[in-house]
Amino acid sequence: MTEKIHLRTTVKVYDGEWVDAEFRITDDSLFVGKQKIPFKAIEDLENIALEGGSSIQIKKNGDKITIRLPRDLHQQVFRFIAFNLKADKFAVFFLSPATVGGVVSSAGHWEKGYFSVTDEGFWFLSSKKQKRIPIENFGSVKKDLRNVGGKQRTVLVLSHVENSDVVTSLLLCPESTLEMLENYLLELFEKHNPEIDFSEDEMQILMLVYSGLDSVSIENMIGIPTDELNKYYDRLIDAGMAKVVKVRKEIELTPGGVNMVDKLSKK
Amino acid sequence: MAKVLIVDDTAFMRKLLKNILFGAGFDIAGEAENGAQAIELYKKIKPDIVTMDVVMPEMTGIDALKQIKAIDKDAKIVMCTAIGQEKIVKTAIKMGARGYIIKPFQAPKVIEEIKKVIGE
Repeated sequence: MTEKIHLRTTVKVYDGEWVDAEFRITDDSLFVGKQKIPFKAIEDLENIALEGGSSIQIKKNGDKITIRLPRDLHQQVFRFIAFNLKADKFAVFFLSPATVGGVVSSAGHWEKGYFSVTDEGFWFLSSKKQKRIPIENFGSVKKDLRNVGGKQRTVLVLSHVENSDVVTSLLLCPESTLEMLENYLLELFEKHNPEIDFSEDEMQILMLVYSGLDSVSIENMIGIPTDELNKYYDRLIDAGMAKVVKVRKEIELTPGGVNMVDKLSKK
Repeated sequence: MAKVLIVDDTAFMRKLLKNILFGAGFDIAGEAENGAQAIELYKKIKPDIVTMDVVMPEMTGIDALKQIKAIDKDAKIVMCTAIGQEKIVKTAIKMGARGYIIKPFQAPKVIEEIKKVIGE
C-alpha cells in the first residue's frame, strides 16, 4: 500500500556543511533523504538560527538533525511536526504570556489549543502559536483563581523564563485535568530540578547577578574579596544556575606603564 | 539630582536599590525599614520619590502610602512588589501610587520606572 504524501520538497540538511536532500511528510513519519523519522520518535523540535538563516532542529533518539526548508514552508512544517511529535497533549485554553517580568502582557490573549509535554519541555500549541519552553526554563506551577471572560475560574499558573524574563502563562481546562496536570508537572519539575541547598550569601549573589550588578559592585555590596566571590560563582555554575559570559582581567603597570603615566601627568 | 527615600524591611533589598539608584545618579536621601519610619522620614526629608516595599512588619507599604498621600497628595511613590502581586499593585495605584517595580529587581527596569515617575 502506498503512503499518502502530504508534502514533498527539497531541503538542506546540515552535517558540517549544507547538503540537499529530499524531504517528505506522510501520515505518520517524515523522511529526510533516505532516513525515516516516525513522528512518535521525535523527542524535541526547535527553531534555531544557523549560518544566517532559520532552521529546524529535530531530536530523535538523542540525535539531532538540522534542516533548512524553503522559507515559505518553514513555519507550516514546524507547526505540523510540533503538533505531531512524541508528547502528552492536553486540550486546553491558554494565555501565554500572561505576565512578563511581573507586568501584565498585552501580547498574549486566550487561545484554544493544546498544552503538550515532552521529555525536553512544554509546548503551547495553537494554529497561530507553537511556543516551546525547555524544561530547564520551567519555574513553578500552581492553581489560582483568575477572571476569565468575566467569570472567576480556576487556572493553572506556570512560571517560566523567556529571554531572561520571568514569564507566567495560564492554562484553563476542566478541573479534573487541571489537577492531574498540576501533579504531573510538579513531579516532572522535581525530577529535573533537584532541591539545592544554597547559603544566604549564594542566594544574595544570585539575586544581585539577576539585578544586573557587575562583579565589582557585588564584591562591594556583600563585602567579600574577588577570590571568595569566584568560589561562590563556581558553585552557582556547577549547580547550573549561572554560566560564564566574560572573564575579567586584572592588571598592574610595568615600569614602562608607570613611566608613561608619569609623562602624561606632566603634560 | 532627585532625592530618593528607600523603604524596605530587608537591609539587603535596601542596599541593592541604593546601589542601583546611586549608580544611576540619584541621591539616596534616606532609608526606612517599615511604614512608620517611612512617614517620619518623608516629613523630614521631603524626597522627590519614594520606593515603597509592600510587605513590611508594623505598617505595610499600602498603609504607609495612604498616610503619606494624606500628608502630601503629590507624593511620588513607587511600590516594590513581588511577581504575582498584581492585585496589590492595582490597589496601590488606585490609592495614588505612581508606579511599581517588580522584585527581583532588574537595574534597567528600576531606573526606567523611577525616571518615568519623576518625569525625567
